[in-house]
Amino acid sequence: MADLLTATPATASAAPSPRARDRRRARRNTLIGWSFILPNFLGFAVLTLVPVIAAFALSFMEWDSYNPPEWVGLDNFQRLLNDESTKIALRNTAFYALGHVPLTMLAALGLALLLNRKIAGVGFFRAAAFFPYITSMVAVAVVWNMLFHPQFGPVNQFLQFVGVDSPPGWTTSTTWAMPAIILTSVWRDMGYYMVLFLAGLQAIPVEQYEAAKVDGAGTWQRFRAVTLPGLRPVTFLVLILLTVQSFKVFDLVVVMTDGGPGRATLVLSQQIYRRGIIEGEFGYASAISLVLFLLVLVFTLVQFWFNNRRERR
Amino acid sequence: MLAVGLAMAVALPLAACGSGEDNAESGPVELTVAVWNLATTPEFQTLFDAFHKANPDITIKPVDILAADYPTKVTTMLAGGDTTDVITMKTLADYVRFAGRGQLKDITSLATSTEGSKLAGLDQYKQDGDKYYALPYRQDHWVLYYNKKMFDAAGQAYPTSLTWDQYVEVAKKLTSGTGDKKVYGAYQHTWRSIVQAISAAQTGGDQLAGDYKFFADQYKTALALQEAGATLDFGTAVTQKTGYASMFETGKTAMLPMGTWYISKILSEKQKGTTDADWAIAPMPQRPGASGVTTFGAPTAFAVNKKAKHADAAQKFVEFAASLEGAKAITGIGIVPAYKSDEILKQYFALPGMPTDELSKKAFSPDKVNPEMPVSDKTAKIDTILNEEHQLIMTKQKSLDDAIKEMESRVKNEVN
Repeated sequence: MADLLTATPATASAAPSPRARDRRRARRNTLIGWSFILPNFLGFAVLTLVPVIAAFALSFMEWDSYNPPEWVGLDNFQRLLNDESTKIALRNTAFYALGHVPLTMLAALGLALLLNRKIAGVGFFRAAAFFPYITSMVAVAVVWNMLFHPQFGPVNQFLQFVGVDSPPGWTTSTTWAMPAIILTSVWRDMGYYMVLFLAGLQAIPVEQYEAAKVDGAGTWQRFRAVTLPGLRPVTFLVLILLTVQSFKVFDLVVVMTDGGPGRATLVLSQQIYRRGIIEGEFGYASAISLVLFLLVLVFTLVQFWFNNRRERR
Repeated sequence: MLAVGLAMAVALPLAACGSGEDNAESGPVELTVAVWNLATTPEFQTLFDAFHKANPDITIKPVDILAADYPTKVTTMLAGGDTTDVITMKTLADYVRFAGRGQLKDITSLATSTEGSKLAGLDQYKQDGDKYYALPYRQDHWVLYYNKKMFDAAGQAYPTSLTWDQYVEVAKKLTSGTGDKKVYGAYQHTWRSIVQAISAAQTGGDQLAGDYKFFADQYKTALALQEAGATLDFGTAVTQKTGYASMFETGKTAMLPMGTWYISKILSEKQKGTTDADWAIAPMPQRPGASGVTTFGAPTAFAVNKKAKHADAAQKFVEFAASLEGAKAITGIGIVPAYKSDEILKQYFALPGMPTDELSKKAFSPDKVNPEMPVSDKTAKIDTILNEEHQLIMTKQKSLDDAIKEMESRVKNEVN
């Protein structure tokens, strides 16, 4: 290299071909780009990527966290198919997602529409709606547990006041425990997604509304023809975030009911925690996590696919 | 192939680190001991101080862990090759798991010494026929706490030797008031042991065997108590996360079946003046026709980490904690030591604030203390199942017969 530089000063001063220069510049740009994401990627790789891949590998093994893992092939998955608790957990998680995703979306969108106008004190109301989201999850769970108390809780006292004779037992009832958790989580999360929707609403050009008005569109028609399509990117984002969040639900359930009564509110991530951390079967717990991962992946891909198709239309 | 390689990558560093163990030690040693909630569990510091006094060249550095996270944290520590010298065994189930994985040092010689025979609950630590990996330093059993003033006010005799049916009747008579002013005759905490472990102990049933008809009578008692409104109902206790201590200390309940670990707490609360409950203890209620007092209990132990940095000093500490000297130290603050002797008994009842009546003494030395839950590699799973069905029975989501059948079929199908 040094030889080359000193021995051929004449050719060095000659300009390299423009194409080679472009290529070199592109490569340098790529390297610079990589160097920018390197710190973040390193952290991600060491703390997330490697453990995730290790967890996938563990799902084909039996491991007690101490002795060397033992290869068991598909045994863990076979066991999963026959495990009543995991099936119940899967069903409960699906039930939670089915309740939590649409209800939170509706509530958040409703709030955003309400608070997207110029009324006095709108800042206060927006902050009030956002407040549950920054409240500690444990505090939320404990307080709602008290609100839902079958006899002395304000929720049931209100229900009795408006004429419901035998209000539900909420967290003490196998039928109503999950709805109670869903209601709590909707209340907690709606403020956050409201903010996303608000940002989306403000990105819709006013001209479109004016044009629609000129064309004689009523409020409902303007909402359907202008607001909803304009919100589609945000709606999609919210949908993905909510779905992933719903499948991962853990803390709220643990504090509110700890999966009870019985197994009425046992969810997948809790099942993973119990099998792995509590009972020390890390291979089997990893197998359940793999299933959970695939579930979330499939749902997300399906949603992406739907969104793409509608965007192309 | 890839998976195997990755697994090796995970396992290798774990196997590689911390297998060093220096035996011949001299000079000052700093011994590390894993404990929980050091500030609110005074027995640890008391033991450390006493040990340091007896062994001035060994200082103890506690590794303080949040009680609720203790088992998971210790699992992670040991898996990572941690060299903390002494590990406190919070529950027998944890002990079985750690010992089964080969993470604890064999200390059979300490357990089979002459002093070892004086330790209540020691045989529960026997593994593989004749090996011991931990020594208990305290052994708690369940008694019936009662509020004398409330019994006097209701004109009831103290609960000297109740059957379970009489217990329900007395509880009904002691119940009064409504709404916020309601006072219950008894408070049965939400743990499954309060029904399941006591019935196993008193009927001789085996909680691991998969046949649970022996639970039935005890559940009928618990449900009758709840039906009569003589105890705070299960659903409320769970949703409000009711504390048994506050129920008893604020005079919300006249009777409280609970473990002897509560004695040191109520002694110190009374000393601080936060409660004026005029309390004493009585033996647990018994089944009709039972001879003698049978209850259940659970020991707590210290074990030596197999990868301990100072194994000799650690062993010395474990031995000290289980000895008469260690027992005297913790007895001084109201903890019930595993070491049984008349000397300890005398010291215990001489504690300031401790009730000294004959009934309390009788309750303190029951005829038979059976294990709360037998231990095996199946314990954790069966525990989960029994707890889930317990909730369903107590919240009346399932009939007693159905739930017992469900327990039996789940244990048969899910535990193998």
